[in-house]
Amino acid sequence: MSGDAAPLALPFSRLSTCASEATTLYRELREPMLRYLVCLGLSSDEAQDVVQDAFLILHRHLASGGTQENIRGWLFRVAHNQARNRQNRYDRNFSAASDAEIEAVSHQATPERAVLEKEKFQQLRKAIRLLTASERECLLLRASGLRYREIGEVLGIATSTVNDTVDRAIKKLAEKCNV
Amino acid sequence: MCDFSGKLIAWLDHELPAEEATVVERHLQDCSECRSSVDAYKKVSGEFDAYCDAAIASSVRRGVPTWAPITAAAGAAAAFVALFLVIPRTRVELPAFHLPQAAVAASPAVVAAAVPASVSSIQKIHRRRTVKSASTRNANAAPAQSQNAYLPPDEPMIQIAIPADEIYPPGAVPEGMHFVADLTIAADGSAEGLRLRPRFAGFERRTIHP
Repeated sequence: MSGDAAPLALPFSRLSTCASEATTLYRELREPMLRYLVCLGLSSDEAQDVVQDAFLILHRHLASGGTQENIRGWLFRVAHNQARNRQNRYDRNFSAASDAEIEAVSHQATPERAVLEKEKFQQLRKAIRLLTASERECLLLRASGLRYREIGEVLGIATSTVNDTVDRAIKKLAEKCNV
Repeated sequence: MCDFSGKLIAWLDHELPAEEATVVERHLQDCSECRSSVDAYKKVSGEFDAYCDAAIASSVRRGVPTWAPITAAAGAAAAFVALFLVIPRTRVELPAFHLPQAAVAASPAVVAAAVPASVSSIQKIHRRRTVKSASTRNANAAPAQSQNAYLPPDEPMIQIAIPADEIYPPGAVPEGMHFVADLTIAADGSAEGLRLRPRFAGFERRTIHP
């Protein structure tokens, strides 16, 4: 019987390692992923669905012995593709949170500061709308804390292209917002 | 434009190889134009981050009517007052998770008395909608509450129905059976307890006090 126990023990221990790893990743990445998806133009509910799906896929991926390298980029890629599928299904375009009501930030500030912040955000929103989809995606992923290499993996482009795109996008925003 | 301008953002993002980064840092000590560019890029990056935070905060609030922020503060204050007035007189025991509903239902009535006539027509429309939705929710909540009377009433609870096929192989449990997971949430938002109960379809809607 002891001979039978050994092969059984392996998958179970791997499963529990996977589960704890997935939990840690979930705590760490849930918020940045939600933020990324909402800024891509998904509703809050859709974003939560996509994040949940992405973690389910991750769990299956890890349980089936899939690669554990660069899981962060992998998760964002899964979420990005799921978001894109959903948006195709609903026949909507990627938008940089175009309908985001920016009052949300103002409730903690003084009225003067709130007005200034709102104006600043409106200016920024206009500038973000002028970016290309790829520039927006690069900046959003960068704001989520991903490295250029990871951004390249998510979007399926070369790291050098990410470098150029981020450079161009930030310069455009700085110019339009008169920073 | 300075030759280094194409490397400043990559340097800010710590994406340059160590040797190149050192060269850029040395250059920045001498070039005021690049220094001010770096400051501008830093600032715009920070603003972009804040914009993303605002977008997600507003997406969560999107379910609230768009003009609600105008009366939100007054509504919150009115809800407080209303609760203090209502609870001692009627001696209604409100479990913690019902308080928000009471607040929603109570606030517009008090707010309406305080607003000028020019906006009262809009208020009326909203009041009707709010009261209707609140009463619908209360009606839905009532049987659920009596069904789960044995559970601690002061803990927010979430019920999740799970088809038996999802956790057992087909045929392992009788047909028509599914499970209900009672999830209690602690004050800090974390899951505190999970109870799994078997249920037969068809018996779900029966309440203890019809």
